[in-house]
Amino acid sequence: MSTPDTHAGHHDEGSYLSGPPGMIARIWQWASTVDHKKIGVMYLFAVLFMFFLGGMSAIAVRYELLDPIRTQTTEIVNAAGDIETITVTTGEGLKELLGAVGLGDGLTGSQIYNRAFTLHGAIMVFMFIIPAIPAALGNFFLPIMLGAKDVAFPRLNLMSWYIYLFGCTFGVLSILLGGIDTGWTFYTPYSTTTDADHWRVVLMVMAAFILGFSSILTGLNFVVTVHKLRAPGMGWFDMPLMIWALYATSIIQVLATPVIGITLLLLVFERLFHIGIFDPALGGDPVLYQHFFWFYSHPVVYVMILPGMGIISEILAVHSRKHIFGYRAIAFSSLGIAGVSFLVWGHHIFTAMGELAAILFSGLTFLVAIPTAIKMFNWIATLYKSSIVINTPMMYALMFLFTFSIGGLTGLPLATLATDLHLHDSYYVVAHFHYVMMGGTVIAFMGGIHHWWPKMFGKMYSENGAMLGAAFVFVGFNLTFFTQFFLGTQGMPRRYANYVDEFQFLHQLSTYGSWILLVGFLIHLGVFIASLMAGEKAPANPWGGLTLEWECESPPIEHNFHHEPILKHGPYDFETVVPPHCDPKDYPLPENPGKH
Amino acid sequence: MMQTLASAQPDILQKMFFGDTPAPSEAAAWSDGLFLMITWFSIFFFVVLMTLMVVFVIKYRRRPGVPAQPSPHHNLHIEILWTVIPSASMLVMFVYGFWGYSYKLVSPDNALELKIQGSKWSWIATYPNGASSPETQALSKVVDNENHVVTQGKEYPIFYVPEDTDIKLRMMSTDVIHSFWIPEFRTKMDVIPNRYTGFGFRTPKLNADETVVFHDAEANRDTIIAGRDMWVFCAEYCGDDHSRMAATLRIVTREVYDQKMADWSVQLSPIDAGKKIWTQICKSCHEVDGTRLVGPTWNSVKNGDGQFGYGYEAELVDGSTAMRDANYYRESILDPNAKVVKGFAPAMSSYQGQLSDEDIDNLIVYIQSLSDRDPNASENTDSDTDSANEEAGSDS
Repeated sequence: MSTPDTHAGHHDEGSYLSGPPGMIARIWQWASTVDHKKIGVMYLFAVLFMFFLGGMSAIAVRYELLDPIRTQTTEIVNAAGDIETITVTTGEGLKELLGAVGLGDGLTGSQIYNRAFTLHGAIMVFMFIIPAIPAALGNFFLPIMLGAKDVAFPRLNLMSWYIYLFGCTFGVLSILLGGIDTGWTFYTPYSTTTDADHWRVVLMVMAAFILGFSSILTGLNFVVTVHKLRAPGMGWFDMPLMIWALYATSIIQVLATPVIGITLLLLVFERLFHIGIFDPALGGDPVLYQHFFWFYSHPVVYVMILPGMGIISEILAVHSRKHIFGYRAIAFSSLGIAGVSFLVWGHHIFTAMGELAAILFSGLTFLVAIPTAIKMFNWIATLYKSSIVINTPMMYALMFLFTFSIGGLTGLPLATLATDLHLHDSYYVVAHFHYVMMGGTVIAFMGGIHHWWPKMFGKMYSENGAMLGAAFVFVGFNLTFFTQFFLGTQGMPRRYANYVDEFQFLHQLSTYGSWILLVGFLIHLGVFIASLMAGEKAPANPWGGLTLEWECESPPIEHNFHHEPILKHGPYDFETVVPPHCDPKDYPLPENPGKH
Repeated sequence: MMQTLASAQPDILQKMFFGDTPAPSEAAAWSDGLFLMITWFSIFFFVVLMTLMVVFVIKYRRRPGVPAQPSPHHNLHIEILWTVIPSASMLVMFVYGFWGYSYKLVSPDNALELKIQGSKWSWIATYPNGASSPETQALSKVVDNENHVVTQGKEYPIFYVPEDTDIKLRMMSTDVIHSFWIPEFRTKMDVIPNRYTGFGFRTPKLNADETVVFHDAEANRDTIIAGRDMWVFCAEYCGDDHSRMAATLRIVTREVYDQKMADWSVQLSPIDAGKKIWTQICKSCHEVDGTRLVGPTWNSVKNGDGQFGYGYEAELVDGSTAMRDANYYRESILDPNAKVVKGFAPAMSSYQGQLSDEDIDNLIVYIQSLSDRDPNASENTDSDTDSANEEAGSDS
């Protein structure tokens, strides 16, 4: 058994977190590092910061929607005997809030709201959810799970981190200059004509363009790493499912991201030089943009969710000590989803395309649902006859099965043409994709952070505190978004600062939910800080996992492994292998080990 | 299958999702039935999966000294089963979705065609006689006991349509992309610059208890008339006042509708305006009586050169065919060589910049009126003579 502790003489190699003395030396060590773990950790804190920014704009959006905007007019007879009309506007919550701190001068309530939801979308999509799992957890764990010292191109990895920072700088600059109101989708011709005398929109578009390169380079790095740096003895079907998911993700990133790059450049050209590509007033085609945009942005939905699915496969297997059911089906369904994802972009624009195209895209869209359904069944089947412990990572994995099922199933009426004509661009769609993106990716990300936190930082966290946070997140999330399904079917369009009275009750419930959600994430933040400050030291393998990251120390040493690991067993062979470094009290030997 | 499911389910889901008012048209009811069928399907699978999950979590919770029991790592039969069942169910949804889609979009030839124009941030509906509605109302208006008038947003236009009639929309935007959504008819379609889009719906018969308040602005008097109001929202984000781009669709009796048309009528109907442009510009190359000039004739006729006229397919020089619809004519005016009819030379030059959008609209309406497949046939006869109103009311 290749375990680090059996080999003496390598204890001089310290944890990757230890560094030279002195503040400046430490900062330079991190800023110039080519260690995938340090880069992963820097990504982790950056995406969590972006999640905070995007989350605060979401709270702002929900706050505005507490009240519809109402105009109250009163006719009074003034001192001179003339009739005077007094008009009072109520319900512009954001405007009042910003006014109190001296911001938002000259903007109407609707304009402020439009900026808030655009920022929420743009930050969450381009700066948080696309890089979140691959660039943070993926960077840290992909090489370790493969048994490698680093990714294939460590310097390229550092470069992709700096490109990410550079792109985020553009985005933040655009916000500081006053924000944009195009929506994160930048639909033309609105995006090429709005705010025409200002650079804000161009800055945000360039941010998305630059961030794309970071995404491409990470993807390229991962593809090569998976092909070339697997540990001796690790065949393709000995890889953990997290690696399969990241591999499928990387292929999409490399193939699809150049398309959005070109599209965004065309958009910038049209804005700056008035070259008619999308604006009919200049001889362009407005719907062409939507095709280009979704040709990237639909596959990217799977860049967001596939790594989350990978995390869930890992968590479910480890915390139920059970071989994953249908390993190959899950692995191939990841690749299947990646392939079909390129053929379904049209379902975002059913209401803007011809009948024949709509019918074809509807059929293709149903195809992509099948591999997802297969994964769900496999995960549930994995729990059968297992040994389940309920802790924070497992709780998040079970929450994922709950919320992601709702997200997936509510997609069916959207793929169905007849019902989509009603639901398209309504709150139903908002609820659906939040159940997929937040109920899927973010919940899986939270599960993954808790699952690997002891490994990344060598500290345990308060289990009770984290479970409390998870409970708040679950209740808050469902209250916020389940109500929105009904708002949508009853006729509430999305991206509305104002709405008719009938919708107010559900909007209020949704806003209260967003506050509970906020409390949940703040609890998690507190738990993480407490863990970093004063957490108990984590053992190398706190959960009894069998994948290679549990064979290195917590936190891992600079080069991950004391010796190049040789794979002796599959990632989920819990029935035949006793995981090393696991407390024997916690993990008794099976009575009849390894007879098949 | 859908019909039986739709009839078997209690009203509770329908009310939760779509409110107390039943769907106003057959196509909308069909769509609700399909939605509820999919929802029941989803609820079934969700409950099964979550029950299994909870049962497993309780039954197989970790106990000290008890390891997981061995069980197969995969099972081909069960995996095939849970691939085939979702696939088959989704095939059913796809087919029903396709049917409902055509049900919502296709309207009969004799439908009343309204022209919808979207622009930041208002809607204009133009009727076959060229009139558009001058009436407006706030989406909600409450007078409280201190005599404050509390309204939401602004005053929105009221689009009158007759009850129990097929309506067809031809829509275009003058600036950015909008989307015309009538939630009660469960249909929307994007409204795009430089391109016509549209959909159709059939207005319901009014029930005796359905009334609306008609505000006579000149007399400043409110009257209660038979009618039903529905909201129209813009569903595609279009900027600052996107959330205030609304309208009221008001379904009234045929008599009220005809009266409105007479009240609002303009001097030159679109057909006459189109005919005028034809006389001035197009007549030198296009006849309307079947005669062959440099270009094809505009009326619906079949002769040695082929079939002509609005609503008929054109055979093109490259061997393909194209339906002569509004977009075809628009393209032929703005980019004449994109589609050249078989047997004719590409001799026409573009009228881009010479004819306004309104001119082109009027020309197309005129071309339509020359065809026996004119979607506005019944409406056109109405506006020609006032005395024909009563006949038109009964023939639809």
